[in-house]
Amino acid sequence: MARTETMLEMPPARVGHNPPLLEARHVRRVLGTGDAANEVLCGVNLIVRRGEYACIVGASGSGKSTLLYLLGGLDRPTRFDAAGRPFDPPSQVFIEGENTADLSDTQLAMLRNRMVGFVFQFHYLLKEFTAQENVALPMFKSGRLSRQAAMERSAQLLKRLGMGEKLKRRAHRLSGGEQQRVAMARALANEPRVLLADEPTGNLDRRNGELIEDIFHELHAGGQTIVMVTHDLSLAKRADRRITMEDGKIVEDERMGN
Amino acid sequence: MRWYIAIRYLLSHKRQSLVCVAGVTISVTMFITMVAMMEGFKDKFIIETVESSGHITIHDEPRETRTKILELVYTDPNALLAVDSVKPREDVKKIKNAAGLMAQLRHLRGIEAVAPEVDGDAIATYGTKTMTVSLLGIEPEQQLRVTTVGKDVVEGSFDRLRTTADGVIVGRGVADLLGAKLDDEITLSSNTGGRTTSRVVGIFATGVTPVDYSRAYMLINSAQTLLDKKNVINDIIVRTQDYTKAQGYAAQIESIAGYKTESWQESNANFLKIFAIQSIITYIITGALLVVAAFGVLNILIMAVLERVNEIAILKSFGLSRADITWIYVFQGVIIGLIGTVLGEVIGKLGVEGLRRLPIQVEGLIKSEGLLMSESRGMYVWAFVSSMAIVLLAAVYPARRAAKYDPVEVIRGAH
Repeated sequence: MARTETMLEMPPARVGHNPPLLEARHVRRVLGTGDAANEVLCGVNLIVRRGEYACIVGASGSGKSTLLYLLGGLDRPTRFDAAGRPFDPPSQVFIEGENTADLSDTQLAMLRNRMVGFVFQFHYLLKEFTAQENVALPMFKSGRLSRQAAMERSAQLLKRLGMGEKLKRRAHRLSGGEQQRVAMARALANEPRVLLADEPTGNLDRRNGELIEDIFHELHAGGQTIVMVTHDLSLAKRADRRITMEDGKIVEDERMGN
Repeated sequence: MRWYIAIRYLLSHKRQSLVCVAGVTISVTMFITMVAMMEGFKDKFIIETVESSGHITIHDEPRETRTKILELVYTDPNALLAVDSVKPREDVKKIKNAAGLMAQLRHLRGIEAVAPEVDGDAIATYGTKTMTVSLLGIEPEQQLRVTTVGKDVVEGSFDRLRTTADGVIVGRGVADLLGAKLDDEITLSSNTGGRTTSRVVGIFATGVTPVDYSRAYMLINSAQTLLDKKNVINDIIVRTQDYTKAQGYAAQIESIAGYKTESWQESNANFLKIFAIQSIITYIITGALLVVAAFGVLNILIMAVLERVNEIAILKSFGLSRADITWIYVFQGVIIGLIGTVLGEVIGKLGVEGLRRLPIQVEGLIKSEGLLMSESRGMYVWAFVSSMAIVLLAAVYPARRAAKYDPVEVIRGAH
């Protein structure tokens, strides 16, 4: 399996003052209503700054993925209690200072497009599209590059992730590891401020898992901010911050010194 | 990007997309051919009726009602008034001062021409064959200005009516039923005892069966003599600048003339009602076809949404909004609708032209060689608008459903 050829160009690393990139303030998230209501997050506070490689670990159902989706603006925190009163203190998520609660659906979507790259356990590529097209889609949406330039950048990203020979291959004809690399390239397409990964190696064999692990490591070395949810201890070990969750709360937040 | 994804999604299911397009195409084709046929017959009937009988007819029925003499004397509304053995007045029905009225009407805005007529039933006999005809006595010069009877003459000539004192022009149906040909002499008898022998100087064919099978024209003086209506004008025929506005003009003329005035729409109300019912049935059938096609589109798009739930979630994760997702599915409907409708219009047009050329003899309310197909551009516009509207409506539900998927719920479901 091909290795990544070089570091991917990333936003300049932090120097001097480093304001929060992602911030969860007293975040609560209740899923379901009435008797079926389940408080998945119970007042979580977390700050992620530029250049960090944070890893969220914890048992299943501890709220790791929920927190990740909230940090990436894919979901919004619950703002009111069962009686309809706003939580005090308010439950809020900020992405580079923008309160996600204040944004419309379209504005939040634009924010995700511009600032966040998601990688999931399941790659969810658009199966009729080629690898190159899949990667180019977020760029088409942002409109910052022409269609041709977006396709060129897409090819560049895929080549750097060792997928140079399969640019034109349709997504459903790629192996699991290849699909996950395409998904990573897609997440990086718009040079996001932060890469959010939810169990990115959870569905891969060991060899492909290690390859993805290396890619994350190289991205971080290049200055990419990464927040990752994982059960994979070897992946967690390479992060420089480990956040442990239990029953919807952060119970440990330690610097790893990598 | 929305178009890009929509097109690719459609192309990924070529067979289903083609079936959807075919459904829309067939329904639009049916819509156009059926409406063209229906409207063609209706237009022909209206044009021929209007052109052969005039836009407006003033009849010899006064509008003002006379107050009965007893009611003038006994004004109590509760009084019971009864008179036995009343003998009806023997008034000759006619339009008084017809010449003055016609002169007045000619100056009205929107009125193109007027012509007097005397009418009555006569029995036409040729050899052993006899039939009742509706005899119209006309002034040829003036009649030509209000109707197209001159152009409808298919044998002989209208001019011969002017030069032949005892001439008569009969409808094609009348001639056929009597077995009379051009220059044959037929006998006309009225119910007042008048009788004359007239030479057939022309045979006309309007294409409207009730007209062609019942009507005969002769000079007004000859008709007045035959019908025992000396110096009587029964009807005044009016031609307007716009026959579609005849009802408005008729009301205005009636208030001026004081005689019952009927527009062509009122005179042919029964036929027009039949056409209206026929239109409703046609539109229901073709509309139902469009709805069935739309259900096809609905079905395909719902399936497309259900099988792409994960993709919808990922599209949202990298920045597509609910509106983007909605449009991706609406655009699929637009593409199917557009291709299906345009193809349907092209095939429909070819169908209309093909049907027009079919050697079919039509005989009914209207007689024609070949099917009468409407040339109206309006029906193509209608087909386009209604087809696109219905297909778009069908696309909205799946599109909204797709947009509503919560990406987090979808991703959780996959875990």
